[in-house]
Amino acid sequence: MANEITDENNQNLSEEETKEINGNEDGEEDESQFDDPEGFVDTISDKDLLGDVLAKRPSPEDGIDSLIVVDNVPVVGQDRLDKLKNVIKKVFSKFGKIVNEFYPEENGKTKGYIFIEYANEKDAAQAVKIANGYKLDKHHIFIVNPFSSFDCMLDLEEDWSPPEKEPYEDKGNLHSWLLDADCNDQYSVIHGGGEKVDIYLNTSTEPVLLKERPGWTETYVTWSPQGTYLATFHKQGIALWGGDEFSRIGKFGHQGVQMIDFSPCERYIVTFSPLPDTPSDPQSIIIWDVRTGAKKRAFQCGNVARWPVFKWSHKGEYFARIRDEAISIYEIPSFGLLDKKSIKVPSISDFAWSPGDNVISYWLPEIKDTPARVTIMAVPGREELRVKNLFNVATCKMYWQNKGDYLCVVVDRYTKSKKALHYNMEIFHLREKQIPVDTLELKEAVSAFAWEPQGDTFAIIHGESPKISASFYRCQKGGHTTLLKTFEKKQVNNIFWAPRGQFCVLAGLRGMNGTMEFYDLNEVALMNVGEHFTATDVEWDPSGRYVSTSVSWWAQKVDNGYNIWSFQGKLLQRHSINQFCQMLWRPRPQTLLSDDQVTKIKSEIKKYQKMFENKDRMSQKKASKELIEKRRSMMREFLEYRDRKKREFQEQEDQRHELRKGFEDLQEEVDDFEEESVEFFIKEEQSIVE
Amino acid sequence: MRPIALHGHERSITHIKYSRDGDLLFSSAKDSSPSVWYSINGERLGTYKGHGGAVWCIDVDWTTTKVITGSADNSLRLWDTETGTQLGKFDTRSAVRTCAFSYCGNRIMFSTDKQMGHACEIFFCDIRDSAQMGHNSSYLSIPVDGPKVTSAIWGPLDYYIIAGHENGTVCQWDSKSGQRLLNVEGHTKAVNDIQPYHDTTMFVTASKDTTAKLFDSDSLEHLKTYKTERPVNSASLSSLKHHVVLGGGQEAMDVTTTSTRIGKFDARFFHMVFEEEIGRVKGHFGPINSVTFHPDGKSYSSGGEDGYVRLHQFDPSYFEYEFEY
Repeated sequence: MANEITDENNQNLSEEETKEINGNEDGEEDESQFDDPEGFVDTISDKDLLGDVLAKRPSPEDGIDSLIVVDNVPVVGQDRLDKLKNVIKKVFSKFGKIVNEFYPEENGKTKGYIFIEYANEKDAAQAVKIANGYKLDKHHIFIVNPFSSFDCMLDLEEDWSPPEKEPYEDKGNLHSWLLDADCNDQYSVIHGGGEKVDIYLNTSTEPVLLKERPGWTETYVTWSPQGTYLATFHKQGIALWGGDEFSRIGKFGHQGVQMIDFSPCERYIVTFSPLPDTPSDPQSIIIWDVRTGAKKRAFQCGNVARWPVFKWSHKGEYFARIRDEAISIYEIPSFGLLDKKSIKVPSISDFAWSPGDNVISYWLPEIKDTPARVTIMAVPGREELRVKNLFNVATCKMYWQNKGDYLCVVVDRYTKSKKALHYNMEIFHLREKQIPVDTLELKEAVSAFAWEPQGDTFAIIHGESPKISASFYRCQKGGHTTLLKTFEKKQVNNIFWAPRGQFCVLAGLRGMNGTMEFYDLNEVALMNVGEHFTATDVEWDPSGRYVSTSVSWWAQKVDNGYNIWSFQGKLLQRHSINQFCQMLWRPRPQTLLSDDQVTKIKSEIKKYQKMFENKDRMSQKKASKELIEKRRSMMREFLEYRDRKKREFQEQEDQRHELRKGFEDLQEEVDDFEEESVEFFIKEEQSIVE
Repeated sequence: MRPIALHGHERSITHIKYSRDGDLLFSSAKDSSPSVWYSINGERLGTYKGHGGAVWCIDVDWTTTKVITGSADNSLRLWDTETGTQLGKFDTRSAVRTCAFSYCGNRIMFSTDKQMGHACEIFFCDIRDSAQMGHNSSYLSIPVDGPKVTSAIWGPLDYYIIAGHENGTVCQWDSKSGQRLLNVEGHTKAVNDIQPYHDTTMFVTASKDTTAKLFDSDSLEHLKTYKTERPVNSASLSSLKHHVVLGGGQEAMDVTTTSTRIGKFDARFFHMVFEEEIGRVKGHFGPINSVTFHPDGKSYSSGGEDGYVRLHQFDPSYFEYEFEY
């Protein structure tokens, strides 16, 4: 249709033009003669003469780019055509002024596709970009194309053949690191101020260097949650590495990328770069498919200062963020909003996924007379499982146990006078009927909280320096929680549970000298106390056999390096490395053993214990034997050198005598000592004589 | 045993030195009053008065009758040990950084700083010749272009001296011809101190590059390395056991900003052969500038930026301890 218009215009114009050009025909009546003299040759081309006018001359192709075709429009009869037109106008007029629209009809009904012409190409392009895929309702998802793409269709070759299947690229066994016979774990180390990245294999004696790559990353590295990939950061984007040789598995171009987050299943990766966003072209947050490298969806960052912006559900089926006083939950694989709408929660403060179920918890603060509220909601059903109102709330923090069995909300509350604070812990027992909530009151502020992984125990650090205490609580059936023990006067500020529970390290990081206290929660006892002075980081290895503590160059410029401890708190290895920045254990995927198998192994642990102990003893024996052997050879070598030197020294005896004119050599003892008495002040004592 | 802290100096200790018998301890400090102490009980015998600036170095001859001191007042002075009278003075154009008596005790060497437009120079004098000490004329002077000498000792039999330079190189200089005999790049940063083994066949260097190293005197062959995390200002070899003591710590200019713990002002003991640390002694609250074993190896002393000299007697357990090999 637009073509018609342009054609018409063209015709009109060309008529005028003809008129102009043939102007002399009409001017015959004029007396004056404008005819070219006889034999005149026109050397001036039209272009020179009226180039500016010609440049504006429309062509049939003009306007074709501002025309779009919309498919999948509902088929309606005449009676509802106006209504449809209104809806269409509403959707498409936000991209620009609509100049023309056309609804082809057949048998009194629309054909299900329409043409829209915009005032300019830009608007049309915009409409194609954004309205494509617009969900009018369940059955009508618009497919918007520029009209010009018809040309492509026309140009199709007659003998079309399907694209060739790309050969399968074997990336090797990405889980090969799990095949280590001794189940040793790997870790990455960044040192040299960020210039160098090494991968080590931790063994019971000395770490083995597996890979060394200078300039592997430009900022830092991170492991994917199950340890399959190592992600490195570059100006152009993210690269993922894996397999035996740490070869490149994928790359994701995102200029200036600063932060990434993997989905728990490692299928997707979220990248963030502080690029300017436009509503039509969000580019600051991108979600990628790890395996194909495809860009799944881009989001605007908004004014979120917290990373990760998106929180993933435990299996990676959903991801959610807070946006405009609502929780927006998106679903995989469509990457669209779940049920097409956010959950409106006015003035929501924070939310969290349960690590064990598709359950979300969130809280909102007190506003005027409405109390603060903690809600637990099931996804995708959106039914509220439990709501708890809280009064006089200053702030809340939510902590999920890693299986989703418990949720603890630590609440800072005002006293009646609003001058002081007191503290509550609200523990939701999710596995019990109607989710009973247990409340514990505390006099002191809680500075750190951590659940025992897979367990019922949690640890808190409370109180102000110098009266800092650490307490352990255990949750019991029937919605009860009991205090196990409080350890007083501790110089600690962080809690690190072993990945399988039972053991726990309380650490005094950064400002606190680096005290490391190792606890066993079966006995509820302090096993050992160590120190890594000025330590900044603590991390358990994924098996729970070792703990690493490190002093990062990023935080402090001296004494950088890392130590490795046994889980009982015995210092095993000390590595002081110049400009050491970061040490990260490579995570392991979840065990493939069923719960029954795990219990069976646990019950037969004695059998395995002996085997492993023997193995350990052997390797230690070997190591200490090697060490002794090395020392012996060093000593032998040194003594040989000394013997040689001693002989040389003795040969020079005469020369030395010559220099000191016959005085005894310094090797010889002088016998005639003078007696000298020296007084020492040893002790001062005062006593009253009666 | 509890150490004896000698608090006689008003400013940082720069150098300490035992007499050959070990009964006396000589100390120089930035307060221009070099002192001598009884090493057995820490009593001060007296001071050598005359310098008008910080004293950088001190040495005593093998007969313990003469003492030389080099100072930032651009002079080297020779003293009578017992009376404290000044026997001679050698005026230089810049501060005297190092000084040492030769094995025979008749000759001395000293070096000056590259300073105020003057190059670093190594001087050799015969102290028996009053013409030399009285008229500022040395029998040999070696101008050193490039990095200045930061520490020096005499080699065996007085044929050459071993000097450590500001850029970490260690050189042998012939004491007669003034020629550079050998040159090794021992360290990457300034060599703060050199101390000989009791028979002078080996020596240990202490460097700002946070290591101390053991070298063979004749060949300058590198034998061992002792690694720490802080600049090492001084290192000494025990004549009794295979032990090395290192003193140092965070640089004085950074000390005020951090705690004593971070500064690491401990004296650190290493096994001479295995290069492994065997012990630490705390005490100073500033970096240790000079540390030295008693000639009998049964005690050691350290002088620090904090102005104290600490005399340490080893406990019996020190002598019982044996490294497993």
